[in-house]
Amino acid sequence: MKYKILSPRVGTPGDKYEPEAGVNVEALLLHGFIVEDTAPPKSAKTITNEPKD
Amino acid sequence: MATSTYLSNPGVLVNAVSMTDQCTSATVTNTAEALESTAFGGTSRVFVSGLFNQEITLDLYMSYAASETYATLAALVGTTTTVKVSNTVAGLATPSATEPCFTLTGAYLETLPVINASMGELSTISITFKGGVLTTAVS
Repeated sequence: MKYKILSPRVGTPGDKYEPEAGVNVEALLLHGFIVEDTAPPKSAKTITNEPKD
Repeated sequence: MATSTYLSNPGVLVNAVSMTDQCTSATVTNTAEALESTAFGGTSRVFVSGLFNQEITLDLYMSYAASETYATLAALVGTTTTVKVSNTVAGLATPSATEPCFTLTGAYLETLPVINASMGELSTISITFKGGVLTTAVS
């Protein structure tokens, strides 16, 4: 599971959050310190070099 | 001889959340329980080390605003978490011999005073994290 920082008390907002051992992640999620990062991965771009008619 | 005066330097992290600007006192206690091993023939009491029993006590200003004291602690009652204390804020991230970082992993929060109101005073609470494993980072 990936998380993103929302509160500056945890780190820089927008940065990825990687919990250390023993940290209660549910408590951080419950009170909005972090959020699950659900951004879909970027799809691969397909480049075609076909000649135009 | 006094060796340390704390003005505004110490850093405190509770469950990865910085509580430095709400904290007025932090005490980290490393205890090795004393088991008496005095036997017949002895003339003085003798002790050996038993289990380690760690505690971190924090005095905090109480705030119910978002991302403040109550929001940080409310969901931790009855659970274990990680608490870090250093004599400097920098020591939390980059500890050194003169800025050690004390980390209590698996620290249990038994009690949270949810309101402590007195006329004309800022609300404060005192909490104690018990148990867990204490490590000291100096690099």
